[in-house]
Amino acid sequence: MTTINIDESLSPQAVASRGIDIRVRSLVKRFGEREVLHGLEIDIQPGEFVSIVGRSGCGKSTLLRLLAGLETITQGTIEFDGQPHGGNRGDARIMFQDARLLPWRTVIENVALSLEGDRREIRAAVQEVLAQVGLADRADDWPGKLSGGQRQRVALARALIHRPRLLLLDEPLGALDALTRLEMQRLIERIWQQHAFTAILVTHDVAEAAMLGDRILLVEDGMITFDEPVRLPRSREHGQPEFAALESRVLKRLMSTGSLNTRNQTRGRIVSILVGRPLTEVRIETVFGIISATVSSRSLSELPLELGAEVLAYFKSNEVILATEDVNS
Amino acid sequence: MSKQKFQSRFSTAVRPWIVPIAILVFWQISAQVGWLSSRVLPEPLAVLEAAVRLAVSGELWRHVWVSALRAMAGFVVGGGLGLILGLLTGSFRKAEIALDTSLQMIRNIPPLALIPLVILWFGIDETAKLFLISFGVFFTVYINTFHGIRSVDPALIEMGRSYGLQGWALYREVILPGALSSILVGVRYALGFMWVLLIVAETISADAGIGYMTMNAREFLQTDVVLLGILLYALLGKLADVAARALERHWLKWNTAYLAP
Repeated sequence: MTTINIDESLSPQAVASRGIDIRVRSLVKRFGEREVLHGLEIDIQPGEFVSIVGRSGCGKSTLLRLLAGLETITQGTIEFDGQPHGGNRGDARIMFQDARLLPWRTVIENVALSLEGDRREIRAAVQEVLAQVGLADRADDWPGKLSGGQRQRVALARALIHRPRLLLLDEPLGALDALTRLEMQRLIERIWQQHAFTAILVTHDVAEAAMLGDRILLVEDGMITFDEPVRLPRSREHGQPEFAALESRVLKRLMSTGSLNTRNQTRGRIVSILVGRPLTEVRIETVFGIISATVSSRSLSELPLELGAEVLAYFKSNEVILATEDVNS
Repeated sequence: MSKQKFQSRFSTAVRPWIVPIAILVFWQISAQVGWLSSRVLPEPLAVLEAAVRLAVSGELWRHVWVSALRAMAGFVVGGGLGLILGLLTGSFRKAEIALDTSLQMIRNIPPLALIPLVILWFGIDETAKLFLISFGVFFTVYINTFHGIRSVDPALIEMGRSYGLQGWALYREVILPGALSSILVGVRYALGFMWVLLIVAETISADAGIGYMTMNAREFLQTDVVLLGILLYALLGKLADVAARALERHWLKWNTAYLAP
């Protein structure tokens, strides 16, 4: 990676501002009885851009929140630069799916949140990062007047002003329209190249993961099951054949039923379909008994469901309720 | 501004007043022709005359001043306590456990049901009126403050914490502003309720104030002054509402619902 070489030739301060080196060992996270991460291990190089993909509920967001210090570790260790990571720290910043701007503060005040010191200096610094994200002219607007993409830009500026050595991105572009998304991907890539921080992006969009990551990790059922470096030159284009090949490889891996834990699926036969709006209840007879699944009316129109059809039922390990009560009673 | 635009603005400003003015004119005419006895309802002009007469003699201002002062004192005491306790129970679990159940129980007592007890406790002087108004105002402000603090978006609090905000800084930047719109709703309701309680309190007994003026006029069958008193209450209520709205506009100017188009 070229950015690292540049940094190493610079002054000690510049080296200190380089990305954080992350080492995760046998990381376990439990919420009550439910274990979300089962002994997860990752090594991330300073300045690396890592994309984490996975189905919803696989634990990828929990991993990110643990790295951000927003959750406490149940077992295992997270080390930043060889030091055990404890709680909140000033040089790691997280961007959420929603921008989480304070609606009662102007753009400039939001970016300056929790900064202390000379007001004029702060204002100048905020103006500078706002210019970097292309919002210099909206400094005094209320967040309520901004579009979704602009709000995320402000959230990015708010993170950047702290000169983070680690930027955690929790599906920050998930709620944006396709065009704004592409723009934001370019912006995040450019800013990452400029600042050389370590970046971890959690997303369910494989194309986005391939577009930005130096590496793609796949989290399934609380484990890393796939770890592949992306050796495509930046800036990447969706149209490139290598890009498309990579994307489809990851997607295939993600979609393959084999990658799902066999404990979490069962064969069955549809015994009833109770059509409702917006959710339809489908009852499936399996070896365990009747399983009821709810599907949206949109999925119902897309799936060829009919009475008596053989289906494969998946369920999330973290949403199963175990009961010893007699079903017949 | 084009002529057309001016005309449309003018008509939207004028149109809402057509019906009330027509009613006033009809009322005046029916009183003059003799359809309406002045003992039932005095003519509008008589009310106006009474207003001018009392204003010139200075009596009107004294009564309005006394009533406004009473209302304000009750509002400050009751609203202040409601705000403080609401912030306390909203922010601290321990305070909620200790106080909220008791307060929720007392809340269900209609303040006006307390009148006999209040008279027994405080007699019929100013303390009784102050208590009654404070009592009613307290709960409206308390409930909305408590609710406001509790309904602050936890995602924003988490964001604030992740940026190192703690204690008072978190309170000032995130929790208080987040609760403010709900608190202001409480203030507006409390202001409306304050006038209702004031009217009842002043009607029980008073030696000054709009209520005193009205009850006194009733004794002498001065229906014009009675009507003037009623209109004064309406006017003061409206004024309080306008003030509350102005506060909302100022403090919630960030809210898209209040943003200038």
